[in-house]
Amino acid sequence: MQALRGLPQGARASGGLPGVTEPATRQAGRRPRWHGPGTVSRRSRRFGRNLLPIALLLPALVLIGGLLGWPIGQLVATSFQQLGLFELIGHHVVWDGLANYRQLFSSSELGASLEQTALFVTACVSLTMATGTAVALLMKRLGKPMRTAMSLAMLLAWAMPSAAASIVWSWLFETQWGVVNYLLSAIGLHFTNHDWFASSLSAYGVITAMIVWQAVPFVALTMYSAFTLVPDDLAEAAAVDGASPAVAFRQVTMPIVRPIFVLLTVLSVIWDGNVFNQVWFLTGGRAQVIDVVPLGVWQYIEAFASQQYGLGSSVAVITVLLLLMVTGYYIRVMVRTGEVST
Amino acid sequence: MNRTATMAGARTPAYKAMTWLWRGVATVFIVVTLFPVYWMVQSAFEPNREITSLTPSFFPAHFTLHDFVDAMSRPWFWDDARNSLVVVTSAVVIVLIVAFLAATAVVRFRLRGAKAFLVLVLVVQMVPTTALVIPLFLLLDKYHLTDNYLGLILTYVTLTLPFTIWALRGFVRAVPVDLEEAAMVDGSSRLGAFLRILFPLVLPGLITTGVFSFITAWNDFLYANVIMQQNYHQTLPVWLFSFSTNTGTDYGGLMAGCTIMSLPVVVFFLAVQRRIVSGITAGAVKG
Repeated sequence: MQALRGLPQGARASGGLPGVTEPATRQAGRRPRWHGPGTVSRRSRRFGRNLLPIALLLPALVLIGGLLGWPIGQLVATSFQQLGLFELIGHHVVWDGLANYRQLFSSSELGASLEQTALFVTACVSLTMATGTAVALLMKRLGKPMRTAMSLAMLLAWAMPSAAASIVWSWLFETQWGVVNYLLSAIGLHFTNHDWFASSLSAYGVITAMIVWQAVPFVALTMYSAFTLVPDDLAEAAAVDGASPAVAFRQVTMPIVRPIFVLLTVLSVIWDGNVFNQVWFLTGGRAQVIDVVPLGVWQYIEAFASQQYGLGSSVAVITVLLLLMVTGYYIRVMVRTGEVST
Repeated sequence: MNRTATMAGARTPAYKAMTWLWRGVATVFIVVTLFPVYWMVQSAFEPNREITSLTPSFFPAHFTLHDFVDAMSRPWFWDDARNSLVVVTSAVVIVLIVAFLAATAVVRFRLRGAKAFLVLVLVVQMVPTTALVIPLFLLLDKYHLTDNYLGLILTYVTLTLPFTIWALRGFVRAVPVDLEEAAMVDGSSRLGAFLRILFPLVLPGLITTGVFSFITAWNDFLYANVIMQQNYHQTLPVWLFSFSTNTGTDYGGLMAGCTIMSLPVVVFFLAVQRRIVSGITAGAVKG
């Protein structure tokens, strides 16, 4: 496929070969740049040619730089300022050095919220990836009618806007008339008038269940179409060689679909690490009922409810740094295997 | 799928028995997945006195549109529905144009720093959107773009742009460059080849990624709530939230509101569902 792209790029060497068709390149790591024929004259041609791509890229650069880059810069700057409502209205800039960070690190809240977020994200992501992969395998194993029914059900769940879905879930788990309490009581458990949001553990349970419910379709459908990319003869050859299905899966199928699996995991960590809507809506805007909230919600509460925008910003900065630390390794892997190549 | 293996294995009774077991598992999965959706719709059509009965009916005996009429006649429903449609549709059109140009530039040219640009696009997605509310609000306010369509449209364009570029890249890459070259041999300019040859071929990808940005923008509560101040300038999620906090236990009306809000997304989704999945893999795997 790479070969089809032909001339205009010249001899394409940097970046990658498809991780899927040629897993061998993964071991190769950084390959040397190979400048094809015409290296000498390319420099002169490049100037004129570069005007068009820059023009094409310009609107995106302006938007990302202006409406994302600038606010991100502001966010970092704000985390070093004392910014309350008074300073906000009066347009005062009060530089505060590391005071916000010092306050965060000296309080026990940060550690608690970090621990909670790590647990929460790990639970959400691992449940989502495990269920999604299992469902994808199930789809592959079953016939077309069942497969269509499964995709249709998942598409409906996936398509539901998160604001609507959260409200629906709070109705499912409602204390007095919620259908979940009714069903659990019907099978003999004492769940009549049970308040799911009374303890933070069960509140987190409901929130996790909902996030997994909404995230599984994307993972399952994507993994399913990844599995269909694995050539049948490879699995058959493994079976002929006497490999058990589990071994064949681990050693033949998984290496081929791994780039997609890694990408889905990274995206899930990013999305679940910043979860807000679900927590906020499901608890009806009373996220404080959960005594320790995930970072994404905490920085919002710190900023808006306590109107300490500087402090809220520093929580946000810490969140981004942590997500970068966790996903940075995988991004590096993706860059090296050519997944981020142009 | 594994056709030969399936056919060979299908003869053994054990394989058949396992198939029934897996069908059972799949059925349970389908029921659990569909139940919240079903419950929303059935609560929306159910008369209120039956919703708040201690034994919920799983197949309601009576259907009523009362909750829908009630939801739609609540203040600002029509204003907010129109705002949602106008803002979200404009944002999707703009983001697709900008992202198509950017993806083409990144894929079709050897640009210095293209890789850095893509890593940036990935990293930018890690910034919590909740964190950017205040700086973005202050920026828009400075240029008098708050409480106005353009401000919210620009916000949604920017928020969905990184992911759209990332996803579109795969679709652009999947189109063989030979076709454009043939057009250029026939006298077309490079840009002309992009617009006449590449654009129609990438259209399925544009529709797929368009659905994604549509959903992100359609779902947004936070930015609409902060940027749009007047009630009649709000969007549907904000309307829904004010509904849920003001009315106490009117779950029938609330579920009707949720159903109305979900409807356009579901319709779009089902229309493009085939392409969505093939598109994601095309974006993730280079092919």
